[in-house]
Amino acid sequence: MKTTISTAAAMLVMGASLASAQQLAPSPTLDAVKARGHIECGVHLGLPGFSFADDKGEWTGLDVDYCKALAAAVLGDAKKVKFTPTSVQQRWPILQSGQVDLLSRNSTITFSRNASLGLNFQGINFYEGQTFIVRKSTNAKTAADLDGASVCVAAGSTEEKNASDWFLERNLKVTITNFQKNDDAIAAYDAGRCDAYTAGVGALAGQRAKLKVPGDHIILTQPISNDPQGPVTRWGDERWQLIVRWVLNGQIAAEMLGVTSANVDEMKASSKNSEVRRLLGVEGNFGAMMGLPNDWMYNVVKQVGNYGESFERTVGMGSALKLERGQNQLWTKGGLLFTPPFQ
Amino acid sequence: MTPATLPLWRRRLFGTPATGIVTLLLGLLLAWIAIPIIRWALVDATWMGSTREDCQAGGACWVFIRARFGQFMYGLYPVEERWRADLAGIAFVLGIAGVVFAPARLRLKAAIAMLVVLPPLGIWLLSGGFGLRHVETREWGGLMLTLFISVYASLIAIPLGILLALGRQSELRIVRLISVLFIEFWRGVPIIAVIFLASLLLPLILPGGIGIDRLARAVIGLGLVIAAYMAEAVRGGLQALPPGQREAATALGLTYWKATGLVILPQALRISLPAMTNEFIALVKNTTLVLVVSILDLLGIAQASLADPNWVGMNMEAYVFSGSIYWLICFALSRWSRHLETLGRRMHR
Repeated sequence: MKTTISTAAAMLVMGASLASAQQLAPSPTLDAVKARGHIECGVHLGLPGFSFADDKGEWTGLDVDYCKALAAAVLGDAKKVKFTPTSVQQRWPILQSGQVDLLSRNSTITFSRNASLGLNFQGINFYEGQTFIVRKSTNAKTAADLDGASVCVAAGSTEEKNASDWFLERNLKVTITNFQKNDDAIAAYDAGRCDAYTAGVGALAGQRAKLKVPGDHIILTQPISNDPQGPVTRWGDERWQLIVRWVLNGQIAAEMLGVTSANVDEMKASSKNSEVRRLLGVEGNFGAMMGLPNDWMYNVVKQVGNYGESFERTVGMGSALKLERGQNQLWTKGGLLFTPPFQ
Repeated sequence: MTPATLPLWRRRLFGTPATGIVTLLLGLLLAWIAIPIIRWALVDATWMGSTREDCQAGGACWVFIRARFGQFMYGLYPVEERWRADLAGIAFVLGIAGVVFAPARLRLKAAIAMLVVLPPLGIWLLSGGFGLRHVETREWGGLMLTLFISVYASLIAIPLGILLALGRQSELRIVRLISVLFIEFWRGVPIIAVIFLASLLLPLILPGGIGIDRLARAVIGLGLVIAAYMAEAVRGGLQALPPGQREAATALGLTYWKATGLVILPQALRISLPAMTNEFIALVKNTTLVLVVSILDLLGIAQASLADPNWVGMNMEAYVFSGSIYWLICFALSRWSRHLETLGRRMHR
């Protein structure tokens, strides 16, 4: 008798919650996050501009900013996120075993990772790719301008192979000078023994700050390889994946639509653009469709900013790294950043 | 002047033309190595300021260490709670001093009291609860964490190591077998593999609800490996004792545990003290391996702080500073064990 009553009660409760939540798919991760009161985010142990603890011990950086944005969207407070630094060996297991809700850790999206690790990549928050750093005086604008130049690389590295293949394919005469280690190669470049040094965009930004006169060097914005990076989630829990994906899209959309942390209140109150109104929760109920408050993106933009603000503050002109937007510019401005519409 | 009438140092360094040349060459070599280092670290170094712009090129930028000193010491531990770590440190130092300077007849009791009181007190102070704000272990770091791991891992390793060494000598075959298996297993696995296993595999195997703190897992893993090494160090001491000691103690009517506690161990531990100190020094340095599971000990925080774009390129400063602290700790430990040895020898006489 008792069991029948409790079963009936349970069914009633389930029915009621289904009706009120407009048949939302269950999301154990979101439920856990709400119960816990914070998001658990796996980040890099220390990568200049992307993830590091500053002098005050606060986690900062582009990847860190994304987690703060997610916290603002889900819990309404960008501070409700805790960071677990992860080494390269432990990053996948720590996500697979459920110790973190997501990874935002400059991990390159590849087919085999997506297909075999039980993980999904939820969009691209940084277009990483191998490129070159050259002295401004060389006037090189793209890698193709390096004909006749010499490039310092670490022997046997992926970068060495990529670079020599790329130049060979295009019939460019470029001398590749090998060094034992990356540090030796960059030191040789700084000392003027080569015209260029090659590595990923993000790594070069960090390396440039170590050179004697950082301002004399530029990083070529067109990479010769393609290593897009973005937040990673476990398989399963579609709704959580949806949230992770659309918070990133929302930050890009906000930049696209000109919504910034400075003007978001004004935009919310008076914008006539219906995509802006949907994004900020004035029109429609996009937040509720994912089980979030309707002002989810308002909180993100207000507290963290749009993608561009985040970029400039952490790796761009507002930071010590002074990285150009390059491919990480909106597609309307010559970059690759793109988001499906908020419709 | 004949060589014999020269001052001692001149006789030793410049006794014959050959030694004179060797002395000069070695002196030049030393100067060639030392002068640039001293210039970099002291003469051309910048001590005052708050940003990297304050630093002059060519010398060490100790400004970086100044700015990050708190993190090097305490990791990301909340600034307003750092007094708790200091207090825990002071409590441990006072506790050990209390045991060392206690009158001989009270020393054993004092040691046991400290062993019962200090470890829980330290954990309470650092992690909080019961009136103190809770500080998660992920915020612990720096020198504080290095010392924490060393002390707590050895609190597991030393008692367990002694028991294992005794077990290995036991007359009960099953005890002997278990001890040998344990020691050989943990001595055979690389420490780095143990730490990986503890931090990555355990959460995958254990059901989701059971969460053992990842620092605790690393400390226990390290403790078990070091216990196996300690056991071998203690066994050396046990084997150095003539069998007559135990036979005599048994003949006096002492039970196994009384004979072990009153006669065997005091002598055996004194003999194995240098070897045990070696293991402890190795442990202090092995704590850096927790870096592979992103626990920010002294070396970890040094590396992590290099990722701040405002300070990139301060590699030399970070490593020289953290390296010197490791060296100081290990040097102090080896001097202390030296001191204990001479003390023991004097008591023995």
